[in-house]
Amino acid sequence: MTPANGSILEARDLCLRFGAVEALRSVSLAVQAGSIHALIGPNGAGKSSLLNCLSGFYRPWSGAVLFQDEDISTARPPMRSTLGIGRTFQGIQTYPSMTARDNILTGFHSRMSGGVFAALFRTPALIRQEEAFTARAEEIIAFLELEQDRHRVVGDMSYGLRKRVDLGRALATDPKILIMDEPMAGMSPEEKGDLARFILDIRDHFGIPVVLVEHDMDVVMDISDRVTVLEFGEVIAEGPPERIADDERVITAYLGAAEVAV
Amino acid sequence: MRPTGVYFENFAAEARVLETRRARLWLVALCILLVALPMLAGPWLLGQLTYAFITLIAVYGLFVTVGMAGQINIAQSAFVGVGAFSAAKLSGLGVPFWLVIPAAALITGAVSVLFALPAARVRGFYLALTTLAAQVMFPIVILALPMSWLGGLVGMPVVSPDLFGLSLGGPRGFYWLALAFAAAATWCAFNLPRSRLGRAMRAVHDNDTAASVMGIPVTRIKIEAFFVGALFAGVAGALTAYFLQFVTVSSFTLFASVWYLGMLIVGGIHSPLGPILGVAFITLIQEGLHAISNALLQSGSNIGGGAVFALSSILLALCILIALIFEPRGLAHLWQTAKTTFRLWPFPRN
Ligand SMILES: Nc1ncnc2c1ncn2[C@@H]1O[C@H](COP(=O)(O)OP(=O)(O)OP(=O)(O)O)[C@@H](O)[C@H]1O
Ligand SMILES: [Mg+2]
Repeated sequence: MTPANGSILEARDLCLRFGAVEALRSVSLAVQAGSIHALIGPNGAGKSSLLNCLSGFYRPWSGAVLFQDEDISTARPPMRSTLGIGRTFQGIQTYPSMTARDNILTGFHSRMSGGVFAALFRTPALIRQEEAFTARAEEIIAFLELEQDRHRVVGDMSYGLRKRVDLGRALATDPKILIMDEPMAGMSPEEKGDLARFILDIRDHFGIPVVLVEHDMDVVMDISDRVTVLEFGEVIAEGPPERIADDERVITAYLGAAEVAV
Repeated sequence: MRPTGVYFENFAAEARVLETRRARLWLVALCILLVALPMLAGPWLLGQLTYAFITLIAVYGLFVTVGMAGQINIAQSAFVGVGAFSAAKLSGLGVPFWLVIPAAALITGAVSVLFALPAARVRGFYLALTTLAAQVMFPIVILALPMSWLGGLVGMPVVSPDLFGLSLGGPRGFYWLALAFAAAATWCAFNLPRSRLGRAMRAVHDNDTAASVMGIPVTRIKIEAFFVGALFAGVAGALTAYFLQFVTVSSFTLFASVWYLGMLIVGGIHSPLGPILGVAFITLIQEGLHAISNALLQSGSNIGGGAVFALSSILLALCILIALIFEPRGLAHLWQTAKTTFRLWPFPRN
């Protein structure tokens, strides 16, 4: 429809309602290739709703979602995951009874093969495939520094580690873009620092752009290339972090008068 | 936890179930004992063990559906029944034994998919009701069909199996047969968790919303969980038919389904070791009760079979409750904990 303008994932005029609540009112967003794009706004602003529309978990009432200039508005979540839209979740959504490595291996599901027969009789083809994908899972484990915990059951892990496993599982889907909903909520400053480093590495080493929702303004200012501010389901500002930090509307709407005074 | 000094040089070695040389030696010793047992034991013990092996196969099926994929199934006994009637019918039509077993498994699998199609769309309580419906429908359907099809109320006789002219009908031959199938089922049950399908089942069990977003086809995996569980049930059913040499609907009751579930829960629903420990434990309790009641009868007391039946039900309920309250991960987890404690001794765990 439009010429490629360097944006990899785009939302156009998304509207979404839950009963009387208008979660999104004509929201547009364009994520540039190779960038970290932060989404900020007060509670209930519609940030998660927007991410869920991007990953296909919510179906917007109107508007379109474009991925690499193709309209994917009708694609369901597993399809979008296969296309290359990876995501991590708000809160803890890992598989608690499985080990860290098995959690990550599930991310390879759509790129592995083999059904009931191979699984029951452990065919040579399956063994070869398991070895190849275990090696790839180990690369992710090394990147996320999870070596000590690869065989630990995720349900027994700390919050920060579980979020890291969640990220590893998302990376295993071989994403072309990564969507993260409040990855740092509830983390200690050390854990936040680690995760910020991983997110920067994901952009720089893997070349994967990241869209994330984050409440910690220090983190947002430090790592993001672009910031979009939502309030009551509407975009009230958008631009590089320096400009957002000085924007009058953002300061009054989101940062709050108290923080301006400090 | 592993003993020290055990390390791996490649991922295939790491994926092995038996990690140490000693564990492998123990397994070999156990196999030799089980294979040699007919030389040492009488027909009564062989019969009991044969029946336990068949039960184990059915409980492995539940391990897949309930333990791995988290889809509650209280119709496993009906699925065993489908396998048994398929085997009886096929062998009656002259199909050779070695073909009857896989055919019965596949027929049972197909029937389970019929139920799984609606069942995969509901959860928890409603799923339990759907599978309960399958259990209730089983005798109704068999009895409603013409007598000449599946024997109706009377049931069907089954000729004893032979393999290329070699009769497997005697207690010894059939013991070995059941042992071979139980061993194969054990191997399959230990393979499944180490595969793409097994991990997908676990993912669906743990968090099906996340699984669906991560590219796992949840409905399909649920249906496959029922299908695989029913494959095991089909094999167990076919063996039951050959073992009893007769099939009737009254052998495949809701009660048996609950016993299967109880064995799985007591043994541990998340480990393939669970079914082995659960079947062994519950079978021992049942046999203990029988022995006690026989002794009572002989001493002239007037406790009837009904009381024993009631008592064994109460005991099963107690076992399940104790397991759920004190060790929801079952005997399998107790066993792992004990091993770890032993290896770390005198240091505490954790
Ligand atoms: N599944 C749902 N059903 C009903 N209402 C919903 C649902 N999801 C979101 N909403 C509503 O839509 C609005 C936007 O919610 P959303 O979760 O997108 O906000 P958010 O910006 O992510 O907030 P937070 O910072 O608390 O995560 C809220 O008023 C919320 O109550
Ligand atoms: Mg949110």
